[in-house]
Amino acid sequence: MLNVDKVSVSIEGVRVLRKISCDIVARKTTVLIGRNGAGKTTTLRAIMGLIPRDEGSIRLDSDDLGSMPAHTRARAGIGYAPEDRRLIPELSVEENIRLPALALNLDKAEIARRLDEIYMLLPELHVMRSRPAGGVSGGQGKMVALGRALTVARKVLLLDEPFQGLAPALALEYARTLGELRRHRPELALLITESSPVLLDRVADRTLQIERGEILVPSTKDDKAHVHEV
Amino acid sequence: MSNAIIPLLLDSLASAALIFFAAVGLTLVFSVLRVLNVAHGSLYSIGGYVAASVCLFIASRQLNPYLSFVALLFSAVFVAAILGPLIERSLVRWTYGKSEAVQILITFGLFLILEDLQRLVFGVQSLYEDSPMRLLGTSSIGGVVYLNYQILLVAMAVLVVVGLRLLINHTRLGRLITAVVTDREMAQSIGIDTNRIFILAFSLGVFLAALGGALATPTSGIAPGLGADTMVLAFAVAAIGGLGQIEGAAVASLIVGFARVLAIYLVPSLDAVAPYAAMLAVLLIRPYGLFGSVTARRI
Repeated sequence: MLNVDKVSVSIEGVRVLRKISCDIVARKTTVLIGRNGAGKTTTLRAIMGLIPRDEGSIRLDSDDLGSMPAHTRARAGIGYAPEDRRLIPELSVEENIRLPALALNLDKAEIARRLDEIYMLLPELHVMRSRPAGGVSGGQGKMVALGRALTVARKVLLLDEPFQGLAPALALEYARTLGELRRHRPELALLITESSPVLLDRVADRTLQIERGEILVPSTKDDKAHVHEV
Repeated sequence: MSNAIIPLLLDSLASAALIFFAAVGLTLVFSVLRVLNVAHGSLYSIGGYVAASVCLFIASRQLNPYLSFVALLFSAVFVAAILGPLIERSLVRWTYGKSEAVQILITFGLFLILEDLQRLVFGVQSLYEDSPMRLLGTSSIGGVVYLNYQILLVAMAVLVVVGLRLLINHTRLGRLITAVVTDREMAQSIGIDTNRIFILAFSLGVFLAALGGALATPTSGIAPGLGADTMVLAFAVAAIGGLGQIEGAAVASLIVGFARVLAIYLVPSLDAVAPYAAMLAVLLIRPYGLFGSVTARRI
């Protein structure tokens, strides 16, 4: 589904990604494990087109994303929840979640349908939907960011260190939500980055290791991660 | 006593309204594009030249004089529709994310180009056509006579404040603009074409400036040099209000308008200094302007 091929990225002249390749396949949860500074966030940012590539290609199905501006990712069906949430504090939780739908100019019925779906998965968002996003806790903010990403994630969902900074209870809740998501949206291709493999052991179908900007030979549950799957 | 105060207040309000049109566009463009457009004043004067030319044409052909009101508005729309996208795409967009020095140098270059272009197209003579002002006539309150056109200016300025607030808080475009102002990168990730927002916001800024220039011509005419004068005043107002603050620009326009008119009435030689004295006083106490703060979202 989402194919990253020999992508290299430099920041301020320093190579941070070295010819990384991976396939994020439909119906699977791929977990990208690596230490701080290994290149996890940069990988997601490169997929989202937020950072220029030195080389390599990024394709979604048959579309070459590399040549398209960043904003086309959302319309192509890629949802992205950054590690630092990045909500609009003055707008309410619901307005934040709806924002991508406004950007894509979806019709009212479709927006309502997607909101319902998100509230079913994340009922706690429904409870705090009218609170300003600036007033929710860091952990709740992660949920809002997940909800916002789900508004556009028709095909692929990218989550950057979703457990980073979550209290244990919230982390459990978040992991449970990811399980629910897998059941309700089986077609979705999920890519989750994390620094520790333990947290995602139960949700991961495949685990990739990234170290100093290079993706290591696939390990654990699936050692055919580089091979296309249906 | 009231015979002196009422005209002073009305003059201040009308003067504030004209400054506001220039400043609010500057502050809007700054908040969305994060570029301080030094050429903004030239767009005000171009709006003035186009409007004055069309009004003179209407007068010379003895067309229905009320057409000149339509001409004022459409001159601004015309200038914005042509120059807005043209300038943003050809010049301003290359300065996004660059240092302020680069942005100021490039827009200053643009300012020089626009000033010379105006001399080339409209000549160095001043243009004056006050039929819109004469048509509206005068009224009097308690024996004090004033121009109805001044009231129109103030009403238009109020309309712009309310209109911008409604646009930003209650429309789809306003939501998208807010997202771009708050977090450009996140806005892209959720599917907002930021380039489109930049073109629209820049053109809206050009429209507001050109509208100010167009509305100003019936009162004071238009002559070379107006662009530079307007730019400096608009910057003073934007700085007093807090860069990026719409309501801030409105309040600051009132302060500057009042300071100028007060100076004209009391110490005419200080007319030019008054706005900057006001700016200095405000910035000494509030360095980020009346409505600004270090971290405040700007719009």
